[in-house]
Amino acid sequence: MAERRISTVPGPVWVTLAAALALQVAWQATRPAPIAHAEALDAPPPEQVLRVASLGEPIALAQWLALYLQAFDNQPGISIPFLELDYPRVVRWLETILGLDPIGQYPLMMASQLYGQVPDEQKQRLMMSFVHREFLRDPDRRWRWLAHCAIMAKHRLKDVPLALRYAEDIARYARGASNWARQMRIFILEDLGERESATILLGGLLASGEVTDEKEIRFLTRRLEQLKNAGKSSPLPKN
Amino acid sequence: MSPQIATIARYTLLEALRTRLPGLVAATVVLLVAASLFVHEIALTEGARLQTGFYAATIRLAAVFITGLYVLASITREFNDKGLEVLLALDLPRSHYILGKLAGFIAIGAIIAAAAAVPLAFLAPTSAALQWAVSLAVELGIVVALALFCVLTFSQLMPAASFVLAFYLLARALTAIRLMGAAPVSGADELSHQVIGFVVEGLALILPSLDAWTQTAWLLDRGADWRDLGFLAGQGVLYVVLLTAAAVFDFYRKNF
Repeated sequence: MAERRISTVPGPVWVTLAAALALQVAWQATRPAPIAHAEALDAPPPEQVLRVASLGEPIALAQWLALYLQAFDNQPGISIPFLELDYPRVVRWLETILGLDPIGQYPLMMASQLYGQVPDEQKQRLMMSFVHREFLRDPDRRWRWLAHCAIMAKHRLKDVPLALRYAEDIARYARGASNWARQMRIFILEDLGERESATILLGGLLASGEVTDEKEIRFLTRRLEQLKNAGKSSPLPKN
Repeated sequence: MSPQIATIARYTLLEALRTRLPGLVAATVVLLVAASLFVHEIALTEGARLQTGFYAATIRLAAVFITGLYVLASITREFNDKGLEVLLALDLPRSHYILGKLAGFIAIGAIIAAAAAVPLAFLAPTSAALQWAVSLAVELGIVVALALFCVLTFSQLMPAASFVLAFYLLARALTAIRLMGAAPVSGADELSHQVIGFVVEGLALILPSLDAWTQTAWLLDRGADWRDLGFLAGQGVLYVVLLTAAAVFDFYRKNF
């Protein structure tokens, strides 16, 4: 159906439309441009509320929340260093996301690789503590993140007892962890000067038959011999 | 207001009363209050704050949805029942029909905003709840004018509803989009970014930035400045005039 001619529109309608459009554009043009303000990270809603809001898709919601949290350092128009975030709140977000999707590894990766990398020892320890806590809930699936924390504790924080605690927990609880992670405690003990304990552990590991790779067995056997020899004579050179 | 406009407005209100709209609004308010109570119960801390925030954010969206859809459905029904053609056959200027309908729908929007704000009077300071209600009423006025313009222009429910939804979402997100565009993480010099930035700034001249309206923060943290609210009301009135003029313009060109 063809439209009527434009001349059928009364003059006052033309005038009103043009005037309103001009006023609207002028009004918006004179307004100051929006200014970016850094927003503090709010506490996450309770997990039960999020479960209801997910409409039966908690995993999808957890993934969205993880991306939201990850992008929080980059709010519209402003970039905030991770260091300035409220870490106890970040931990609560990570716990909530992990609660919605316990199989997912993303929050643990974020804790150990993103938030745990800031140059603030207290915040690093907070993240490592979170990873350790969550590891104990599902060791076989989460051991690799605690292994990363053990390395961080040893080399970055120089807190070898903490590294040893994490490494021992991996060996004790994560039966399905890779051998390198389960053997980590031996080398940490060695660093601590606990050669006797390291020797016993390494000998036990070799005797248990858990290590099946021939090259690995050769390497560990050589290491065991070095430990025994060092115990008899001078201190071992550190690797 | 001419008697013809007032009559059309009155019958528009009457139609709303007879099509179970009040029941739907009441049920929505009750349902969302119940849901907010649930949120309050399961919250570990700041239960009242969570309850108020949840109710305000959800009832705002629900009010926009109900009002917009009601306008679209009402006018579509007039198209289908040929009631509009009967009206146009009378000695009635087309602009009076639009203005009458607009007045009736704006009154409906104001009543919905008031109903939505009743629970907030118990959850937040009265002045903050009042500011929130006034802002929602003006926001619903814009939604009403927009829905009226869309349904008259597209003459069909689906494209009109899609346009209203897209417009509303864009108006709510526009400030954030502008901020992101102004300070991109990378690629600021690329032509595509500059073109998009130009388009976004152009849209900002035409669209109202609805993210500044009916804020939950007014209820939770501190109330709005009444002068700011007056500014929003002025902006709302101007935008309703603009959309109505566009709707009247289009309506005069329509052949029935």
